[in-house]
Amino acid sequence: MGRWLALRVVQALLTFVLALTLLFALMRLAPGDPIQRLEGERPMSKAEIARLRERFGVDQPIWRQYRTFLGGVARGDLGTSIEYNRPVTAMLLERLPATVLLGATVILVNFTLGIWLGVRQARRRGSREDRLLTTASLAGHAMPSFWLGLVLAWLVGVRLRWLPSAGFSNPLLGPDAPLSARAGDIAAHLVLPALTLILVTLAGTMRFQRAAMLEVLRLPYIVTARAKGVAERGVTWRHAWRNALFPMVTLFGLWLPLLVTGSVFVEAVFAWPGLGSLAASAAGNRDYPLLMGTAILAGALLVGASLATDLAYAALDPRVRLS
Amino acid sequence: MTRSAPATLLLLALLPVVPAAAQRPASSIVIVTGAESSMPIPTLMEGPQSNVANFEVADHLFLRLANLGPGLVTAGDRGFVPMLARSWSRRDSVTLVFELDPRAHWHDGAPVTSRDVVFAFARARDPAIAPKLATLTQHIAKVEADGDHRVIIRFTHPYAEQLYDATWHVAPLPAHLLAQLPADEVARSPFVEHPVGDGPYRWVRRVPGEFLELAADTTFFLGRPGIDRLIIRSVGDADARLNLLLSGQADAMDNVPPPLSNLQRVAADPDLRLVAVPSSTLGFLLFNQRARRDSTRPHPILADADVRRALVLALDRQVLVRAVMGEYGEVPFGPASPVLWIRHGAGTPLKQDRTAATRLLAARGWADHDGDGVLDRNGVPLALGLNYPSSSGVRRTMAQLIQEQYRQVGIRVDLAQSEFPVYAERRDAGDFDIDFSSTVQDPSPSGLTQSWTCAGGTNRAHYCDPAVDSLITGAIASQGDTRTTWRQVLQRIERDAPAAFIYAPTYVYAVNRRYRDVTIRPESSWISLWRWSAGPAGARNQAGY
Repeated sequence: MGRWLALRVVQALLTFVLALTLLFALMRLAPGDPIQRLEGERPMSKAEIARLRERFGVDQPIWRQYRTFLGGVARGDLGTSIEYNRPVTAMLLERLPATVLLGATVILVNFTLGIWLGVRQARRRGSREDRLLTTASLAGHAMPSFWLGLVLAWLVGVRLRWLPSAGFSNPLLGPDAPLSARAGDIAAHLVLPALTLILVTLAGTMRFQRAAMLEVLRLPYIVTARAKGVAERGVTWRHAWRNALFPMVTLFGLWLPLLVTGSVFVEAVFAWPGLGSLAASAAGNRDYPLLMGTAILAGALLVGASLATDLAYAALDPRVRLS
Repeated sequence: MTRSAPATLLLLALLPVVPAAAQRPASSIVIVTGAESSMPIPTLMEGPQSNVANFEVADHLFLRLANLGPGLVTAGDRGFVPMLARSWSRRDSVTLVFELDPRAHWHDGAPVTSRDVVFAFARARDPAIAPKLATLTQHIAKVEADGDHRVIIRFTHPYAEQLYDATWHVAPLPAHLLAQLPADEVARSPFVEHPVGDGPYRWVRRVPGEFLELAADTTFFLGRPGIDRLIIRSVGDADARLNLLLSGQADAMDNVPPPLSNLQRVAADPDLRLVAVPSSTLGFLLFNQRARRDSTRPHPILADADVRRALVLALDRQVLVRAVMGEYGEVPFGPASPVLWIRHGAGTPLKQDRTAATRLLAARGWADHDGDGVLDRNGVPLALGLNYPSSSGVRRTMAQLIQEQYRQVGIRVDLAQSEFPVYAERRDAGDFDIDFSSTVQDPSPSGLTQSWTCAGGTNRAHYCDPAVDSLITGAIASQGDTRTTWRQVLQRIERDAPAAFIYAPTYVYAVNRRYRDVTIRPESSWISLWRWSAGPAGARNQAGY
């Protein structure tokens, strides 16, 4: 187990460094200059541009920039954002809570509801309910998230005014407001972006779970369980579902990076101050340090999720040996 | 797991959670803007921080010696509005003396003194600290204190915009808080996280990625601001900004974004009113007079002034502006946006005249010899590339209309849309035939030097007319009435046609009707906000706060 874990960690680290190197090189090979872009519509002198290039190190050869970047990462210093002139680490930490809240809510609801509905569909295969749920979930899946977000924001936020149309919190609610009031306020702002993401992603979880359950429900031991007189609920949840859980573990591992990057458009439409929109603007602005910072976070999460998935497999199935 | 458990969980998660009862105070305002202010500190707004978001927040926190008057005239000593300086006088042609208002104080209670003014100018004039400001204040020779409340500013030579240079670019900083800090450490100091100013509003907090909160300085020496709490909410996405406004989560919004239907949506809301403000923006087709990627050779088509004039005449610019901006825009005369005072009486833009355009082109040998619908000369088609950034909806839409208008006179235009960093790189490398440029102008006409003189730092199209250079130099150096000279500059540039000046938009702001005495200024949108007052908040539902 220990040897396996060490090997997997080394393997994961190598993958991580390779991915970062590729991203680093691709960003710099892409056309568009981060400093010239800053000029925007207000002209800067050549001397000013040269000074900024020197300050942010983009006047250096690419290999030297890479060396500086790696050295910084080793020291825990992700550099300074070119666009915001602030430490990247601080910016990531500021945005992380909103991202985690949205991502965790979506994943929690998605998996809870998706698994339950998937199992229900499998048990009622071919029924009217099965067909209806399939159609409804696929309709949600087919809708682009930004479009659905715009519609929900307009309908629920602007027309009906049931919920805030955008933002993370009510700025008029001061920091000295009671915790319950602030939590309620954030929850209200969370509903629409979370609902948008859940509606477009739920179908995947449902379909995975339904297919896995159907596979298991055909197996002889399920027939045996029924023959022994186990109640249908017990057959479903205790005997069948546990074995139909493996694809969901894989899916969960794939979903985790959503915490960082999976909701770029939804974050934009709902002005959700998370990491996704920060990464998107960093890419558009050629803000190399900020983009690499978000990539490090997303990469670490992906690698961590992959490791966690492997460990979960072993925990769920004693036949899987970590060697 | 019970059957009902997941459903209950889902219901709990999705049920509209009633937001906390946040009773809106009568005197608060939430302004939604597109960009986030991260360093609104005078002398630090350089390079990446030299943006409108920072300047506008700084205008609430820090006072200038004087502000521009209603006419936005930057020349001479009249028309300015006293702020930190209650008066000023001229000692001679190169010396101005300012008397500071002794009532002025910093938000920590310390009085504002001449030492603060001298300190801020010392920082601003140091090219190592503030290269842009150092250039803008290069004609200031010396700033010295005479007692606690008198400041003497000496200039290197007589010129028209001395008062403007002394008041507009630099707002005083609290020397008692910053003088001990090395200049290069200020940007990383706690002062940046919690600036202490002397303006009508004081700093409360910044919530990164969300908003910034300021509170009225109730002891502000020019009068207590009429609105107690100011929230500036930054939202990058234009649709989200509009939704915040229309849902009542914001009270005001700067520059309602295109398309025109957005304006109609705002106008239809009975709680909101539209306020039109002349903008400092100018959009133009810049004709490259040197060959693409080789600035040593003349451009094979656009080096010819008659061809450039034909390109201007071939366009119906009025139609372009109406189509994209409706009534909220105009065709400028020369490179003068509505904030430039020199534009008045300079002239009217040429109307479309396809016949004259075709005649001019024919005289230069351009005709459709091969009958393919595109003019040609010596076998070379009259084909030009038009570069523009994908980030600008206005330019994206107009580019297509321009392509069609040119097609009708036999000019082929190939559209080259790219994302902004790529667009900017090509533009700065001279890799374009026609560049659909947009610029934001300062109120001072001396800024024209940058783009429209032979040695201008941002003269990317290599336009050079020594007569224009001479007129601009003369206008800047003169201490008399320079209106006529500046008008001649604009007329001469129009005649040379280094560009087709397409649009000067009117920015449309949306403000809730409960605010009174609303004035929005072209040079800094919310600079007069402290003079606004708020009526009672309307009955709003919870979601609209």
